[in-house]
Amino acid sequence: MKQFFDDMTAKMEAGLLEKNTARQKFNLEVTRLGQRLYSGNQRLALCGVCAPFDLLNAMGINSCFVEFWGGVLATAGIANEFMEEAEHVGFQAESCGWHRAVLGAAIKGMMPTPDIMIATSSPCTGGVAAVENLAQKFGCPLFVLTIPPDDSERSVRYLADQFRSMVDFITTHTGETLDGGKLKDAMNKTNQAREIALEVYSLAQSIPSPVKGRDLVSVGLTMPLFLGTETAIEIAQAYKNEFTARIERGISGVPGERLRLIWLQEAILFKNPLIKMLEKDYQATVVVEELNDIYWEPIDPGDPFTGLARRTIAFPFNGAVERRIKHIKKLVQTYRIDGAINPCHWGCRQGTGSRGLIAEALKDLNIPVINLEVDCADSRNFAEGQLRTRLEAFMEVLGSISSERPVEIGGQACTI
Amino acid sequence: MVSDKVSYIGFTCSYTPLALIEAAGYTPYRILPVGDSPDQAGQILHDNLCPHVKRVLDRALSNDLPELDGVVLLNSCDAMRRLADAWKKARPADRIILIGLPMTTDDSAVAYFERELSRLVDTLGQWSGRAVSIETVRASIKKYNQLAVLFESVRNRFVGRGIIGGAVRLQGLYNMAVTRPFSEAYQTIKGFIDDLNSPIAEDTGIPIFLFGNVLPDPEAFGLFESCGVRIVDEDLCTGSRSFAQIEMDGERKIFSQLARGLLRRPRCARTLIPMTPGAIAGEVLSRATACRARGVIACTAKFCDPYIARIPGVREALRKAGLPMLHIEGDCTMRSFGQHRTRIEAFTEMLRR
Repeated sequence: MKQFFDDMTAKMEAGLLEKNTARQKFNLEVTRLGQRLYSGNQRLALCGVCAPFDLLNAMGINSCFVEFWGGVLATAGIANEFMEEAEHVGFQAESCGWHRAVLGAAIKGMMPTPDIMIATSSPCTGGVAAVENLAQKFGCPLFVLTIPPDDSERSVRYLADQFRSMVDFITTHTGETLDGGKLKDAMNKTNQAREIALEVYSLAQSIPSPVKGRDLVSVGLTMPLFLGTETAIEIAQAYKNEFTARIERGISGVPGERLRLIWLQEAILFKNPLIKMLEKDYQATVVVEELNDIYWEPIDPGDPFTGLARRTIAFPFNGAVERRIKHIKKLVQTYRIDGAINPCHWGCRQGTGSRGLIAEALKDLNIPVINLEVDCADSRNFAEGQLRTRLEAFMEVLGSISSERPVEIGGQACTI
Repeated sequence: MVSDKVSYIGFTCSYTPLALIEAAGYTPYRILPVGDSPDQAGQILHDNLCPHVKRVLDRALSNDLPELDGVVLLNSCDAMRRLADAWKKARPADRIILIGLPMTTDDSAVAYFERELSRLVDTLGQWSGRAVSIETVRASIKKYNQLAVLFESVRNRFVGRGIIGGAVRLQGLYNMAVTRPFSEAYQTIKGFIDDLNSPIAEDTGIPIFLFGNVLPDPEAFGLFESCGVRIVDEDLCTGSRSFAQIEMDGERKIFSQLARGLLRRPRCARTLIPMTPGAIAGEVLSRATACRARGVIACTAKFCDPYIARIPGVREALRKAGLPMLHIEGDCTMRSFGQHRTRIEAFTEMLRR
């Protein structure tokens, strides 16, 4: 795997010289992160999705969520063999593909050995189980963060206190301490990245949208890994520059944009033709993924633990589905969405479990939803023909109900 | 004139503080995934969600429940959280509260859960229209401790020499105790204990330790017995994990003691001991060895992540100790459970050799 990240990084660094896009910058930073995870130069923490990565970055701990490996392996088209390995020792095919992939990689000895592991109860209990299994496999210390489902003051305080205990745990097991100045600096960088990201997402809302294809795939999910560092600011700035330039030049992400879509939950990361088909055959663009949003307030550098706790609790997949629905509805309205695609990642109880409630809620806004039965990491059960047919039918329905709508180019409204 | 109407509060998780519900003047009613309600939950919840919560929702959608004054759910896992969401959709007029449940049992987790229990009592007080006093809570905990002691006595007898009616009868008692008023439950168990000395026929079944999550149907235990299995001990959330004593110390805060006692009782796989990742494997092995089981049956509801993700580790630990394990998954219906008969018979036959 180390060789894989080294090769990918070299290839992307060369590619960036030829075609300097924000997505390539983002991809490059992802592979650089992969390199660091295998470097052995710094302490390593494998975590749940909702760990406070900017805090870990401030402590000089290399870190990522365990599903990151599933994503990398799926994107590289090699996840299946690892999932098969996990299934071979008894992890069920009905469980989440991201987790099976990373468990398989660990069983095959392809993972770096972490110094510590940090589980987070949100977004899913399956993730907690995966982290616990990995901690057992690697024989390394485990810390568990319980993310309360609500943002009451006592819940915020409870989580903030857990973050403080987590810092003590990290220091005990790695020797790395938390420097107040570095933490403050990290929070400032987090806030800077947040401000620029807000602008990026605002630009993405333009009609037509400057977003195309895979520009922002999994960016909202992955960006937290870079928070607290210059990298997050640079990535956000690259997107801002690119989208601004496209809008100024009147370039639409998808030429002749006709339909605007929201992609719920997570992206299908193995190679598949669906996005291209939507763009080419229907001039439909996925303008927003559910997690591509700033749903949290700036962190007060003077009281970082409270701010981090509030941000963590505000994660859209945390807590009752009403919060998630409220967030989706906000995105639908601000992005002027025509339809929603919910991939219903098979094996995800927290996400897929609420698909009926989400579809029902979006009906109130007259937004049709298509639920796809896929595992976003596992290409073995990807029924391409069936999914194509269903999506085609869905797009025809959307096309028939889509009315004339205002278009904004460079801030001026017009109609197509 | 005193009304003899029973006011029920529905619940679904064995971490639920029954004593608080009782202290507020209600009878806790565990909504077990049993009965013949038609499959309707799929309209709201996805097919790959835990059948326990779907069967519970089926009952709610079919009104296969007594009149409930409210529902108390715990944020124990993804499926329970989704059940809370779906319940609001299915029965919007019902009063419902979702209580936070920490993943660990350390002191800060206890403190958080203590505040959640306090919130629950306040809510129950609002529902009933009368404040719940600390004295009432204390008395109620004592009552449920008495019930836990009685069950412990029955269970010891069950593990040691067996009881009349075996595991089928014991499961029936658990089901009764989580759905009927305290006094009725207490008297029934007490009466059962008084008869414990009656002679019972020797059971020649293969001694098996059973663990997992939800298996409330006594008929399932009958099926085990008919396959030559003798359940010598179990660790199920609808079985022995239903009742455990709460250590009481008059000096300390009552909610803190209750929170500690609930969190540190025999645990569901969703609760972690961070110091010992994968501890459940050692716990199953230890329990199975203690009751001299010759094999272990893991019985889990399909799609239950907390359990199915730990099964490989448990299987490995048992394999190293030379204890065979059979894993059975079901959808909380006897229809699915019955399909495992051949596998259970084969497992028993293998152990007899």
